[in-house]
Amino acid sequence: MRDDTLHEPGQALHIEDITVSYGANPALWDIDLDIPPGVMCAIVGPNGAGKSTLIKTALGLVRPVAGHVRFLGRPVAQMRGKIGYVPQRHSVDWDFPTTVRDVVEMGLYHQLGWFRRPDAQARTKAQAALAEVGMQDYASRQISQLSGGQQQRVFIARALVQDAPILILDEPLAGVDAATEAVIIALLQRLRNEGRTIIVVHHDLTTVQSYFDWLVMLNVRIIAQGPMAQVYTPENLRAAYGRQLAMIATPTEGRAM
Amino acid sequence: MSGLADLLSSGIVQTVLIGAAMLGAISGMLGAFAVLRRQSLLGDALSHAALPGVCLGFILAGTRDLGSILLGAFVTGALAALAMMLIVRRTTLKTDAALGIVLSVFFAVGVVLLSWVQGHGGAASAGLASFLFGQAAAILRSDLWIMGGIGLVALALVLALWKEFKLVSFDADFARAQGFPVTLLEVALTVMVALAIVVGLQLVGVVLMVALLIAPAAAARQWTTTLGPMVALSAAFGAASGAAGALVSATTRGLATGPVVVLIATGVVVISLFVAPQRGLLWQALAARRARARISDGRVLTTLQGLANAHRDASYPAERGMLETALGARAPSARIAALERRGLIHPVTHPPETTPHWELTTAGHAEAAALSGKPAGPKDGGAA
Repeated sequence: MRDDTLHEPGQALHIEDITVSYGANPALWDIDLDIPPGVMCAIVGPNGAGKSTLIKTALGLVRPVAGHVRFLGRPVAQMRGKIGYVPQRHSVDWDFPTTVRDVVEMGLYHQLGWFRRPDAQARTKAQAALAEVGMQDYASRQISQLSGGQQQRVFIARALVQDAPILILDEPLAGVDAATEAVIIALLQRLRNEGRTIIVVHHDLTTVQSYFDWLVMLNVRIIAQGPMAQVYTPENLRAAYGRQLAMIATPTEGRAM
Repeated sequence: MSGLADLLSSGIVQTVLIGAAMLGAISGMLGAFAVLRRQSLLGDALSHAALPGVCLGFILAGTRDLGSILLGAFVTGALAALAMMLIVRRTTLKTDAALGIVLSVFFAVGVVLLSWVQGHGGAASAGLASFLFGQAAAILRSDLWIMGGIGLVALALVLALWKEFKLVSFDADFARAQGFPVTLLEVALTVMVALAIVVGLQLVGVVLMVALLIAPAAAARQWTTTLGPMVALSAAFGAASGAAGALVSATTRGLATGPVVVLIATGVVVISLFVAPQRGLLWQALAARRARARISDGRVLTTLQGLANAHRDASYPAERGMLETALGARAPSARIAALERRGLIHPVTHPPETTPHWELTTAGHAEAAALSGKPAGPKDGGAA
């Protein structure tokens, strides 16, 4: 039985009443969240705030105790292949025997369907996705030969190759150098300008104002959500991180950092 | 050669040879996925956990019926895998501790059952102990059909679900986010490993079976860079080790087939760890040595360039002691000779001194400039 009625189709991501628990303590508590289409949204919060859990729950990788999730009005099961997911880089073994092109083609496996192998068309798409992240010359490389920043770009290419309207990235800037960070942010902003929705778990409060236009502050509960200028305030930062942090990340009045 | 031909015409040797080769191929193929998914030791727990199943199969059937014994082995192996999964998910114990507990508990139950059966089961139970270390001679022609069937099913599954297995082995979270039934695929891989173990019990036994899963895959990983060749080579290593082990034990009295197969397979691993290109230890040591030599040669060239620039003489002859002082290290004769052979430096005499001197050639100046990023000095002296 497939329910085709759309619930909150106006939101790229709509989360309602989500609670997740690992053992005794809730990892996420009664989350209500709306992210409109076409924004570049950062999810920030202290360690253990549940940032990764939130996106894993949205993607259906973690089963919530209660609540529901909709992407563009549909449950995630009906949106498979239309959401590009970039997991944390360290979640896989980079010594796996495979090439860069092969990893990018993995983004197309769902479209290909069962039993079909990647064909010439998949190869062309993978090459185009690699060109978008500036890695076109590395297609035949072993993935074990890549630097951290290059690994991250390959992971992003694997999400891009699906041509998905929604991209979800888990700490894409962790452990990459400044040049790679600039490449990745420019790419994400271009994708946003094409009308895609970009949702990023971010850890660096000093750059969040200049990179993103939408902000979700999380600490097990939602502290605040909305356009950057409204959410990035000293009160919200104190509420999310506690008192001591507010001094190093005081929002600058009216101008970007 | 006639000895070998005689040997191969013997029915029992043929059966053992074919059986060992097939077992090696199956476990090599499936072991490649197990190793890449970091589940090599799950195979060890599964094979040890097969022992109580072997005994229970015997007790329930009342005879040494291979069908019920293998079924029993498969059931207790599956129970062990399930217990492992529950312990890891529901308790705070990590995988290694869970493996250790499950392996030893199931194996202990197996040994208890084995001793009980041997005390009460009469003559028919005598052969059960051979499942500990395997007994190749017990393999029958009809068993080969079972092994072949399981091998074909495993091969068909791996070919049909190739990209799904690859994706699940590399990045299970991404596969799940894409909507693939990851748990089902992982169960399929684990069940196939359990089947490979069950068919290997007779030949290699529960204690050593894990080596046939891990060794061919570990060796194959050394020689290959992509998954397809790795799985194929792992199957080939497994088959070759199985066949070679069967031949060795058939030609030598008193050598049990299973352990010989395992020793040959691990021998292949040791050789591969040392000599494989790119990943082998010897290859890496040589590559590191070459890189160090190249860098220190570069330092010799840039030092000579620095001396030439400081003296405003492109063909400034530097004596060895002077070179070593400026370099801050020894400049071994072998390296100097190597630079001469490459035409980058040139030996000259500098009367009245009698010690050898060297100057940079034009090519040496170009190389030094490329390395140091500094332009060559004035050419008033003219390079040789």
